[in-house]
Amino acid sequence: MDKEIIELLARRAGLQKAMAEFPDDVIAAARQAADVAAAIAAPEDPRAEPWPPMRAGEGL
Amino acid sequence: MTDLHWLSVAEAADAIAARELSPVELMQALLARIEKLDPRLNAFITLDGDQALAAAQAAETEIAAGRRRGPLHGVPVGIKDIMDVAGLPTTCHSRILADNVATDDAVCVSRLRGAGAIVVGKLATHEFAIGGPSFDLPWPPARNPWNPDHHPGGSSSGSGSGVAAGLFPMALGSDTGGSVRNPASCCGIVGLKPTYGLVSRRGVFPLSFTLDHVGPMTRTVADNALMLEAIAGHDPLDPGSAASTPGHYGAALGRGVRGLRIGFVRHFHEVDTPAEPEVTAALQHVARSLQVAGAELRDVTLPTLAEFGAVNRVILQSEAWSIHAKWLRERPGDYARFSRRRLMAGAFMGAGDYVTAQRRRREMMAAVEAAFRDVDVLLCASSMDPACRIDHLEEVERTYRRQARTPFNVTGHPALAMMSGLSKGGLPLSVQFVGRYFEEATLFQVARAWEQASGMDRKHPPIG
Repeated sequence: MDKEIIELLARRAGLQKAMAEFPDDVIAAARQAADVAAAIAAPEDPRAEPWPPMRAGEGL
Repeated sequence: MTDLHWLSVAEAADAIAARELSPVELMQALLARIEKLDPRLNAFITLDGDQALAAAQAAETEIAAGRRRGPLHGVPVGIKDIMDVAGLPTTCHSRILADNVATDDAVCVSRLRGAGAIVVGKLATHEFAIGGPSFDLPWPPARNPWNPDHHPGGSSSGSGSGVAAGLFPMALGSDTGGSVRNPASCCGIVGLKPTYGLVSRRGVFPLSFTLDHVGPMTRTVADNALMLEAIAGHDPLDPGSAASTPGHYGAALGRGVRGLRIGFVRHFHEVDTPAEPEVTAALQHVARSLQVAGAELRDVTLPTLAEFGAVNRVILQSEAWSIHAKWLRERPGDYARFSRRRLMAGAFMGAGDYVTAQRRRREMMAAVEAAFRDVDVLLCASSMDPACRIDHLEEVERTYRRQARTPFNVTGHPALAMMSGLSKGGLPLSVQFVGRYFEEATLFQVARAWEQASGMDRKHPPIG
């Protein structure tokens, strides 16, 4: 992930202050997120449901 | 009687019930030990000595009047400082919540107090139960009693350090990616992450709603079962609480392992994340001992640690970002660098990443459930290394990832970590047992068999 995209996403997330004060941390966080998300293989079955399932009326 | 600070919960309870030991005498002995050792260990954020002594006096009076509440009555407990104790600060070891005083007890704390346990204070954690040992916070990080130059594990670092050092016989920890079992592994004690939803999370500051667990940390397996019995049970006000009836978790403790089928997940430590040789040797020794005791050993294959880890982190960091976004936007400098980096990662996860992780999670749960059709308990590594030096931050980062605990936060199965031996350098090595959903009693049965065969409950750090 290049720096321009990171700056754009950081602004969208409202992290301008962090970007000004801790730019290295913001960049490290963005690269970490990209690496970890890329390590997940999406389920092959398009019908595979997420967990936890929606259960109407439970847990309210 | 043995040194009071090494009494287990069960031993202290028996001595109190037999009027051979008063809760006040026990509390005084532990407070003296805390005064002596805590300046080196930093296990406490808030020590509540006066209240603890007053509660010990009240327990003594109640027991003398014939109103003993059970095996925890009069026994001290330490509480991780992300859990509310009425009247005490819940700082989460962070500047962000430095002035946050709890008005009510968390449900797990209230259940312990209802059973007669006495809160001795609030314990160090990694900031907000994430991050790592940080030296840029208002309180120092806890240290390992086996060698205070080393990391005690985390995030329930004060809980692990204090139980192992004999500052209190039991503590509460929380576990989102391994935070009960990591300090249990580093400090050589018993730490359980129960089945997801078995213990209420209400009153515990969240890190990740679908991964957070509260768990007991003790020096013996039997004590862990006693503590779980006190804190388990449905809470209608915790949306993740399971509709289960708590069991008698110590029921199978003396039964041994004859006839049990134990699945050895070797690929975790042999292929996915190769462990240090002494960790591998200790795991082989545990497996062999259980086999000699009558268990049937089978090899089991699960998804890889890399994939479990990625699913855990995408879910954890996405949910944690949702909790911390406002503070990270407005007060990023009030976080430690370690936790700031980890928490901000969630800002860069897409909604699709999160849902994909939750879909893959369901498949992983099914894979572990499928393994349990053929075995009763899984045996695998916990940490791939003994605890590293606490001031070597690159090494802390490196070893943090070298573990096999996150799979069972992803799947929600109960998992227990305990000591498997000692390294050449005199630091604890660890093993992990994993059970079917809500079958904590079987986990304790296997863990007790190993404890009995190895005498791990009698090994204490050379401190004090």
